[in-house]
Amino acid sequence: MTISEIISAIQNGTKTAEEITRYYLAQIAEKNAQINAFVEVFEQDALAQAKAVDAKKARGEKLGALAGVPVAIKDNILYQGHKATCCSKMLENYTAAYTATVVEKLLAADAVIIGRTNMDEFAMGSSNQTSVYGVVHNPVDTTRVPGGSSGGSAAAVAAGMVPAALGTDTGGSVRQPAGFCGIVGIKPGYGRISRYGIIAFASSADQVGVLAGNVADASLVMEVISGKDAHDSTSLEAPVPHYAQEFTKDLKGVKVGLPKGFLDGLNPTIKAQTEKAAQQLKELGAELVEVDVPLAQYSAPCYYIITSAEASSNLGRYDGIRYGYSAQDANGLADYYEKSRAPFGLEVKKRIIIGTYALTSERYEECFLKAMKVRELIREDFKKAFAKVDVILTPTSPTTAFKIGQKDDNPLSLYLADLYTCQGNIGGLAGISVPFGKDENGLPIGVQFYGPILAEEKILNAAYHLEKVSK
Amino acid sequence: MITKKDVELAGKLAKMSVSPQEADIYEGQLKALFGWVNELKAVNTEHVQLTNVTLAAHTRKDQAVTDEQAAAKLRAMFACELAGQAKVKKVL
Repeated sequence: MTISEIISAIQNGTKTAEEITRYYLAQIAEKNAQINAFVEVFEQDALAQAKAVDAKKARGEKLGALAGVPVAIKDNILYQGHKATCCSKMLENYTAAYTATVVEKLLAADAVIIGRTNMDEFAMGSSNQTSVYGVVHNPVDTTRVPGGSSGGSAAAVAAGMVPAALGTDTGGSVRQPAGFCGIVGIKPGYGRISRYGIIAFASSADQVGVLAGNVADASLVMEVISGKDAHDSTSLEAPVPHYAQEFTKDLKGVKVGLPKGFLDGLNPTIKAQTEKAAQQLKELGAELVEVDVPLAQYSAPCYYIITSAEASSNLGRYDGIRYGYSAQDANGLADYYEKSRAPFGLEVKKRIIIGTYALTSERYEECFLKAMKVRELIREDFKKAFAKVDVILTPTSPTTAFKIGQKDDNPLSLYLADLYTCQGNIGGLAGISVPFGKDENGLPIGVQFYGPILAEEKILNAAYHLEKVSK
Repeated sequence: MITKKDVELAGKLAKMSVSPQEADIYEGQLKALFGWVNELKAVNTEHVQLTNVTLAAHTRKDQAVTDEQAAAKLRAMFACELAGQAKVKKVL
């Protein structure tokens, strides 16, 4: 069922919220052993929330915008009284002391929080293979990865275990798994959604995003969780549009940018699908315009330096004192810190080392400062491009979902999975991945729309129209 | 060029122990990564000024206490207050 269908069914009384929740709980019980998308199901809480929605309806009270809709949350989003572990041994016993604003907003809209989903440890990865809870399997082909780091959220939606899920996106962690699993994933522009209660990875890039089965469903959830939050000074003061009501009849007058050189050397099938998407948009009335964002090619190295540097600082808090694992057998303070930080997995340790190295006095200027300056120029490039076009079309990823373990020997090739998506985080842009066709192995291909900050309605509208013709 | 010694030093600065085996693995991977990062040298950044991600003005927060109840609740968490400073529990 789509979210709109769930809302209608509950409103008109053909289903109760409890029935809906029990249906999805049964789906999780049936499929999770194979997919490993959920690390915890909040069965009792979810049923209590669903019953509360039914009681509210019985009393004739106005229901919230997502009344009775089950939503899963990634394991780095705080929900008071529930564990939030970032799928890391470091936080295996951490229970959230307060609730993230996005979850508060979902609850205020009468949504049902059904469970927390698997992810790459501390959101560092693009294959969901670094979780302490084990690998997530792509529901389309369980021998393949679902993408990451919000792989659990994407797989849960794609497998029909939940109609929508929240993820976080620091370099593509919502859009890339959405593309791999054949669903929709949107990352808003920087500042559109509060990050209060999100466990930080890289603060200048982290954003909460939505994974859903279709663009309209993603729009409904986006509308609920967007907006200024007094608890997050980086959230922007701007009215939130009624996204699902902003869909236009066609794309006449919409200018779609095609970045020069973006498809060079790309996998031929993905290249062909992206070109086909551009032609479909043209047939829908859009004007195709070539744009130049020459420095975007440097996004990935900038991304890995800047986010690793920020991670080395953000993850400094895991010293065994306030949060996470605390060593019991230490001999002195230095030993205590080292032993308390030992539970970090290999990838997390590597990123902390990269970041720490890039911030040393010897490397600061040539690595960190250089990356920050190139980032400025990349943002300038996008700003100039958006002066000419409404949205920019790119592939979501350079490949479709790869086999589990396939890229273990060459981590740099894993980093390339973020090639097209990390540009959005470097630029602070809004981005959405929408499924558009399949490759020769029947694996979903995603294409991506970028829009400037606070222009989520533009990318949702373009994706909505492309989705209609791709079905 | 990043070396095993650099990896070990960065590990130490980050208060993490890096085993010789881990340092070997990281050295190879980081060499490749920083080779990639070196490509940034081709970009002229001479006159670039840094701004923030949204290009929006920084928000300034009024630091005045507006919620007396919350303030009282916070104060109650500490053992005692001395000259405006809260005394916290010894943790080590």
